[in-house]
Amino acid sequence: MVPWVLLLLPLSAFSAVDKTHGVPPSLLASYVPTKDGSQEIWTCIDGSKVIPWSAVNDDYCDCPDGSDEPGTGACPNTRFYCRNEGHIGAFIPSSRVRDGLCEPACCDGSDEEPGVCPNKCKEIGEAYRVKQAAERKLRKTGSKIRSSYIAFAQKEKKRIEGEIASLENEIVSREKEVARLKDIADHAESLSATALEQKKQSPLYQSLLAHHRALKSLQCEHKKHLEREKSLGDILDRLRTGYNPNYQDMAVLEAVRGWEFHAGLPHINDVKKDDEPSTEDESETGKDEEEELEPGMWTPQQLEHQLDELLDQDYESLLLEHDKHVGATEHSDSLLYNLSAYVPEPLLPQFEAFQNALVSWLELLGIVKPSKSDAADDSRAKKAYNDADHSLKLTRDELTKAKEDLSRLFDSNWYGKDGEWKKLDGTCLEKDTGDYTYEVCLFDEARQKPNKGGSTFSLGRFAHWNNGPGVEVGSPEYYSKQFYIHGTKCWNGPQRSVVLELECGTENALHTIAELEKCEYKITGTTPALCLPPDEPEKPREEL
Amino acid sequence: MRALSSLLLLVALPVALSVKTQDFKTCSQASFCRRGRALASRAQENVSSWKSPYSVDADSLAISSDQALFTARVKSSLYPDIKFGLDVRVHDDGVVRVRLDEIDGLRKRYDEAASWALVAEPKISQDIKWTVGKNEVRATHGKKKDVEVIVAFEPLKVTLLRGGKEQVVLNGRGLLHMEHFRTKLAAQPSDIPEEALDAEDAQTVLSANNPRSWFEGDSEDGYWDEQWLSWTDSKPKGPESLSLDITFPNHGHVYGIPQHATSLSLRTTTGESPYYTDPYRLYNADTFEYLADSTMSLYGSIPLMHAHSADSTVAVFNAVGSETWIDIAHPTPKSTETQWISESGILDVFIIPGPTPEAVFEQYARLTGAQALPADWSLGYHQCRWNYVNSDDVRQVQAKFDEEDIPVDVFWLDIEYAEEHKYFIWDKKNFPDPLDMVNDVSANARKMVVIIDPHLKRTSSYPVYQEAVDNGVLVKTKDGNEYEGWCWSGSSAWVDFFNPTSWDWWKGLFKTYPIEGKFTWVDSTEDVHIWNDMNEPAIFNGPEISMPRDNIHHGGWEHRDVHNINGMLFSNLTSQAVMARSDPPKRPFVLTRSFYAGSQRFGAMWTGDNLGSWEHMAVGIKMVLANSLSGFAFSGSDVGGFFGNPEPEMLVRWYQVGAFSPFFRAHAHIDTKRREPYLLDEPYKSIVKDILRLRYSMLPIWYTTFREASVRGIPVVRPHYVVIPHDEKGFAIDDQFWVGGSGLLVKPVTEKGVTETTVYLPAEDQVYYDYFTHQAYRSAPKGKNITVPAALHQVPLFIRGGSILPTRERPRRSSPLMKKDPFTLRVALDKSGNARGELYLDDGVTYNHREGQIVWREFKASKAGKGIKLSSHDLVRAKPTDAVDGVALASYNPTNDFAKSIAGVRVEKVVVLGLEKKPTSVKVAGGKEVTFEFIPGVAASGKKEGVSSVLIIKDPAIPEMHLYSCFRMPFGFVLVLASDPF
Repeated sequence: MVPWVLLLLPLSAFSAVDKTHGVPPSLLASYVPTKDGSQEIWTCIDGSKVIPWSAVNDDYCDCPDGSDEPGTGACPNTRFYCRNEGHIGAFIPSSRVRDGLCEPACCDGSDEEPGVCPNKCKEIGEAYRVKQAAERKLRKTGSKIRSSYIAFAQKEKKRIEGEIASLENEIVSREKEVARLKDIADHAESLSATALEQKKQSPLYQSLLAHHRALKSLQCEHKKHLEREKSLGDILDRLRTGYNPNYQDMAVLEAVRGWEFHAGLPHINDVKKDDEPSTEDESETGKDEEEELEPGMWTPQQLEHQLDELLDQDYESLLLEHDKHVGATEHSDSLLYNLSAYVPEPLLPQFEAFQNALVSWLELLGIVKPSKSDAADDSRAKKAYNDADHSLKLTRDELTKAKEDLSRLFDSNWYGKDGEWKKLDGTCLEKDTGDYTYEVCLFDEARQKPNKGGSTFSLGRFAHWNNGPGVEVGSPEYYSKQFYIHGTKCWNGPQRSVVLELECGTENALHTIAELEKCEYKITGTTPALCLPPDEPEKPREEL
Repeated sequence: MRALSSLLLLVALPVALSVKTQDFKTCSQASFCRRGRALASRAQENVSSWKSPYSVDADSLAISSDQALFTARVKSSLYPDIKFGLDVRVHDDGVVRVRLDEIDGLRKRYDEAASWALVAEPKISQDIKWTVGKNEVRATHGKKKDVEVIVAFEPLKVTLLRGGKEQVVLNGRGLLHMEHFRTKLAAQPSDIPEEALDAEDAQTVLSANNPRSWFEGDSEDGYWDEQWLSWTDSKPKGPESLSLDITFPNHGHVYGIPQHATSLSLRTTTGESPYYTDPYRLYNADTFEYLADSTMSLYGSIPLMHAHSADSTVAVFNAVGSETWIDIAHPTPKSTETQWISESGILDVFIIPGPTPEAVFEQYARLTGAQALPADWSLGYHQCRWNYVNSDDVRQVQAKFDEEDIPVDVFWLDIEYAEEHKYFIWDKKNFPDPLDMVNDVSANARKMVVIIDPHLKRTSSYPVYQEAVDNGVLVKTKDGNEYEGWCWSGSSAWVDFFNPTSWDWWKGLFKTYPIEGKFTWVDSTEDVHIWNDMNEPAIFNGPEISMPRDNIHHGGWEHRDVHNINGMLFSNLTSQAVMARSDPPKRPFVLTRSFYAGSQRFGAMWTGDNLGSWEHMAVGIKMVLANSLSGFAFSGSDVGGFFGNPEPEMLVRWYQVGAFSPFFRAHAHIDTKRREPYLLDEPYKSIVKDILRLRYSMLPIWYTTFREASVRGIPVVRPHYVVIPHDEKGFAIDDQFWVGGSGLLVKPVTEKGVTETTVYLPAEDQVYYDYFTHQAYRSAPKGKNITVPAALHQVPLFIRGGSILPTRERPRRSSPLMKKDPFTLRVALDKSGNARGELYLDDGVTYNHREGQIVWREFKASKAGKGIKLSSHDLVRAKPTDAVDGVALASYNPTNDFAKSIAGVRVEKVVVLGLEKKPTSVKVAGGKEVTFEFIPGVAASGKKEGVSSVLIIKDPAIPEMHLYSCFRMPFGFVLVLASDPF
């Protein structure tokens, strides 16, 4: 043997490791030998095997549960405990014991052989405490803001409750009004119904109805086509601007060129990136050449704006008015019928009620003949009824909404059991990343807005908090993530979505945006709503 | 006109295949391939009267004074005025090099392909004597003088014989044809654009009584400018193709000529009912979403073909750089005919005589160089994705691996790290702190690999492009202007690495410190290594997604002449750049997609953009084996598949494939879901973690295997025929393979829903142990199929009896952190109680191994008296010339600094499989008894199957794993460790 070999022999292999090296305080009691005759023995923690005491921490894994090597890393999938005196004790996986790297978690350097890693626990402990203090301070400030959010929620509660009360009152009175108007309308209708039925048999009316239905269907179809064309146009626009002349794919190139021709756009490769917008603007002007229309035909503008109006016509009223125009007016309406025109507006309902009652009596007695314009009155009454009914419905909706708001206010799945998130409902946070500005309107919608023109994409609507496996509803972890889903679909990809990761901070702000997978965004941010009051005084576990 | 009509057909029909097959030519769409195949079919039709027009002018024969080579004039009876020169030489290891070139032609044929491929000018044999006869010249060589080369004069034919048996025949079928340079006749109808012509007019019809038509056909088919889809190849040099038939009259299996997604034993493309209709094509191309069973060309080309039979292995290396098509036929099951059709270049063929697979590898490695010994960490697991989107993303991915305690060595960045895909230039919006990020990865003894592609964005604000312009090193168009094409960076230019001016400039770019007046990559460190992609070159708007063939490279050569070599120069130069950036140099890691013969000297390759499908997983293994046979041992395919979202089962199986690939990387397309192993649910996550840990435990085996590859050129993963050359049943097996010479046999499962599988045990009387359960299986002299369990968590892995495997069983975060870990030795006894194995170690990163800073040990178990002796020997001392790559060690000190640095590393455990009975004692040398545990079971020597006996020796307490000691395990059952004097 050469001398230097002998010198090296005492290293690692034979350097004895303390039997309790790497053992956490809670298990120290288990690491004591027992006597078996003259031999000191030890039983693996799981009781599966008895080994010589000398085999504990001898850098060879004897126990099936790996408990005999707490301090050497010889047993895979076990944990090593470093005491870190002056700081906080910590566990590291056995894979990091004696691997030549000083573990930051083991500031005492006990994870490596003696002399390899310096003990930095004093300074690290100090820095840790400073950091802890800063964090506590941040949380304290944040929690004050959070308290104000909770106070806000309490105010909201009162406000919404008040709103609910007044809405409920309003609904009662509106219901009465609707009932009254319904009576009038029903009455008027019963008077005119027979005449109307007769008139409805008119071929002209039937034809009109048929035309109406056809036109309505056509409009519906037309709208579908327009939407389709729009989305196809969007797809092609994105293809045109986004395609890589990749792989000389003739099909793509043809689609792009075809679209450019069709939409009157210049070829994208001819457009200099810098002056793209202006070029496109120029190209767009004058691309729609006016088609020659036959006289009387509607312009596209008319079609767009006036068709709905046309289709919304009350044909029954028209039918009733029709008579006026076809010369059936042998005698002018008696004053009685038209008296209403002279009655002051506020009195009109009472008057009409009275009039209706009177006229019906007179008619019944055959004193007056039913007026031709009664139908118009009928439809007016119906309209009044419809309007009132609609208002009632709106009020009821408001009530439902208010009740929902109230129920969500302290719902853990919504604004938290203290209502601390209510304040942020609809609050929009923005982050400019250069090419895009990202906006998240909390509890509503996330958006991507291009800074240099182009269309804004929805990145999804608020769906839920962090409902991942093992996450307790209402826990801080639960509120650390918001999910926004079903945003605008990526062409050739999924619908856009966002995971908003939040942590305690004194400001409501977005910090980073990353598209980790295509069309799936991770946005990080801070909010005081997550700042729970610090537990005073904070006691680190297992501190020695 | 056949071409044009079928082309029109393709355009008319919408093709809904994954690969855009219509973007790539078939043989019938390339005029020279058409002509080559037409020549073969004419020969076939007139087989009785066919005679090659090429003959040697015996009077011109000149033998060099040292007998090393001879030259002669060759004439073609078709063109008596055209002169050809033949040069035949025999290297000192018996390789025969045959060259043929046109002499005093109108132009010069490209003759530099071999100069790029060869590692050095081969040594010429000194003990050859050429004997000139009336009809031929011949020479014998080889130790037993049993190898003979015969060059017949009329017609010209070159034959290599061994023991009187024909091994390789050139021009035996008379398909040799070197199209000489000619002048384009004026007013040829082909001046009119082809599409304007009808079918008959497209080819120039030669006069009816043309005396050459029996050989060349009666039309000038595509001699001059040629149309392909929307591109025109101007072909200013006209026809210059080369056809050559190479026959293996006594070999029924041929392998190699990568890269193709096809079976290892190459299938027929011609002859009677061929398996494929098109020849194997070599034309480096970015074949997007390629087919899993096709002769279509892929990203790289190595024109090397092995031919194998039970008693002989030979090969041919055809040093050609232009597009080449290879037809294969088996006229009988025991013979093979091939025809090689190349677009341009001289004939420069190396006949590699064998006679064994290993001899062929060594001979080929002497020509083009052996696999570079990789940095040890690069054999760990590589985690890649297009793209980790920012520096925090990289940090978080690393944190996740560490949280789950899953080992990984390298994190990769794809093209999105670069601002506007200007490589080297970080996109500071997402990577504001590249150095901090790299250092955070380095802090865990890991590395980063960052992509550098060969297309340079054409903007003067990009210093790399501007410097390339200033240096005049960009590829030019046929008109001499800077070539512009489209790639990731938009309008781009390509560096011409054939231009020597580009070399030093390119190497300078990778320096990590500032140099006055030029760009250097100061935003990188020595822990950043490089990935070279798109170097076919891939050009989105070019013909076949590559460069126009009439582009001009340095020296005036056309792109067509050098196309298949082009990709190699890029990665080779990058590799040299990475090596040279540090002083003393460190081993570079450069991954390349495109490659050529010789690429193995500089790095690793992968099989490109595969699909996440079971078929692609399976063919990936075959492709890696084919590459390994062709010298490029450091290869792998993307785990998980580049495209698509593999289901967890597929991903797990793919990790099992990857863990047994020389290069082990997971990669994913930007459109895919993330699939890093920690994202898997249980039980998949734990299974993958175990596979990764298995790979890491076996790194010493892989590294030891790479040593052999780097010295002898023997592949790292080896198909059956290489390991058991006589076993005919194994010749076509390509779904199970061996890890080097370690004795590990693996059959990764590549099918869905498998719970058991069949493994072929080769024809030998041997015991095979299941690596995990120690179940002993018996092979048989005629070979045997066994059925073994293969549930999702199981990868069928066997140790051949007679092997000793060194492993490191402690899981770590990354491989450099295992350097101080102890070893476990698995001793798998063979029937007679013997076993052997090797372990090679060096510092893993520098070139100090070339100065003897190494440990290379042999472990041996053998019967000694009534016991078994386990001993360890110094292999460096035994074979100093065979220890390291590149140099024969002049001096070697067993106590070198590296050996000293691992003196604390020990063997912590010895596991012996297959002992007959429990040892009475186990002793180390010197007589000290050590603790052991014995689990009775089947013995290696018997005939029984079942779980083998297992002896576990605890901590034999050999402080240095070595080195200077050996184990002895005398019978009576003692394991004695004795001192090995040195």
